[in-house]
Amino acid sequence: MGSINMSRVRRELARLMVLIACLCAGATSWALEVPTLSGRIVDLARVLPAEVASDLMHELEAHEAKTGNQVAVLTLPSLEGEPLEEFSHRVATTWKLGQKGTDNGALLLVAMKERRIRIEVGYGLEGTLTDARSAQIIRNHIVPHFRAGDLQGGIATGVRAILGTIEGTYSVTESPPARVSTADEPSAFEYVIVGVIVGLMAGLLLSNGHQRARALLGSVLTFLVAQFASILLGLAAAGVTALLLWLILQANRGGGRRGGWRPSDLAWGPGGGFGGPFGSDAGFSGGGGGFGGGGASGSW
Amino acid sequence: MTRCRRMNMAVGVVIACLGFMSGCGYNDLQGLDEDTKAAWSEVVNQYQRRADLIPNLIATVKGYAAHERDTLESVVNARANATGIQVTPETLKDPSVFEQFQKAQAGLTSALGRLIAIAENYPNLKADQNFRDLQSQLEGTENRIAVARKRYIDRVAEYNKMVRYFPTNLTAKFLLHIEEKPNFTVVDEKAVAKPPEVKFN
Repeated sequence: MGSINMSRVRRELARLMVLIACLCAGATSWALEVPTLSGRIVDLARVLPAEVASDLMHELEAHEAKTGNQVAVLTLPSLEGEPLEEFSHRVATTWKLGQKGTDNGALLLVAMKERRIRIEVGYGLEGTLTDARSAQIIRNHIVPHFRAGDLQGGIATGVRAILGTIEGTYSVTESPPARVSTADEPSAFEYVIVGVIVGLMAGLLLSNGHQRARALLGSVLTFLVAQFASILLGLAAAGVTALLLWLILQANRGGGRRGGWRPSDLAWGPGGGFGGPFGSDAGFSGGGGGFGGGGASGSW
Repeated sequence: MTRCRRMNMAVGVVIACLGFMSGCGYNDLQGLDEDTKAAWSEVVNQYQRRADLIPNLIATVKGYAAHERDTLESVVNARANATGIQVTPETLKDPSVFEQFQKAQAGLTSALGRLIAIAENYPNLKADQNFRDLQSQLEGTENRIAVARKRYIDRVAEYNKMVRYFPTNLTAKFLLHIEEKPNFTVVDEKAVAKPPEVKFN
């Protein structure tokens, strides 16, 4: 009896595993994934010879150094059924091309199998690299080369036309690359500092009350604020507040050390690096620019 | 001793207040409401941009295909109809106004589609640089509308979730007296579900 049940359980388990596997496979194949931003030129369709790609990359780099505009190129073997405009917008917003605030990014996307081209333009460049101008670049600069089978020439001419169009829009002095912090939210550090201040104020301003209660209240308040950063940092900040409050209150009383603070409480001091927005800057990364669907599409 | 108890009570009250403030979602609801309004403004902005393109487009097409009077007039009428409905964030709460707006804009979309389609019959019009530029501007604007609509749809979904989830639904209902916001839908689901007719003459 028991063995029958066991085999049934096993079968059900196996079935469940298959179901989960199917669901996972379905989830991953549901949409074409946004490729990782490995550099200014992401040549997944392998149409650009190394020297052409590196020439273009240097041009794009020099252009960004001068103007802050971030332009990237993506070639794809296929869109795998994804609508061109939707995918291109998804790539541009994921890569966050352009600087935060000026939104001066642009993307040239080429899908080989569908024979489609799109120039996706960030908010900040819509005024110069207009839809009409983007369409002209595709029609007059890129498509003739592509039709003649010269893919690298088409991409290079297209990129140069884009750079020429957006040349004078921004200069680096008016849009300093604000790359350090791309997050709008207050950082972990800010939460901790604000939390400690709030806790200390509350603990000190309460005119009466048991010392220990005041220290406790202060540290609880600190924790409530600082836990937005992380639970651990919240606890650490609460410890710091409690310790500081205790020391201050003790000092006000003029010594007379009571209560049971153990040295181990010091271990809750500010520790543990928070590695949030300070990522390594090795390689190219988007500056936080936004895209609203401007640009043009074409085919060859 | 009583001092100590009072102290404990104060601690309890403060903690309860803080917990309530962060848990009831008052601020989140207000923030999301503002987000949906901003997203809506962007939608209206892009529709307005499209409406602004139309006079130029009509003038250009007229130069080559003046006798396509019906199509041209239907675009003019649809534009008047669409720009006649002003949906502010206040009237936006009314699902019937929202539907009206959506219908009028969809009417303009299809009238414009017909106008672009007849251009295929006029090679000179198709080759006109001005028309080509207007056409790419129109395409770009339609794409911007799609992006703005998607952003609005996402924001409203977020907002509506907040309005329905517990415990924020209590704040929404009893404190703020707000309801779910209407969202974009497929205007005519039957028409979309019907396969297109293909005629070979």
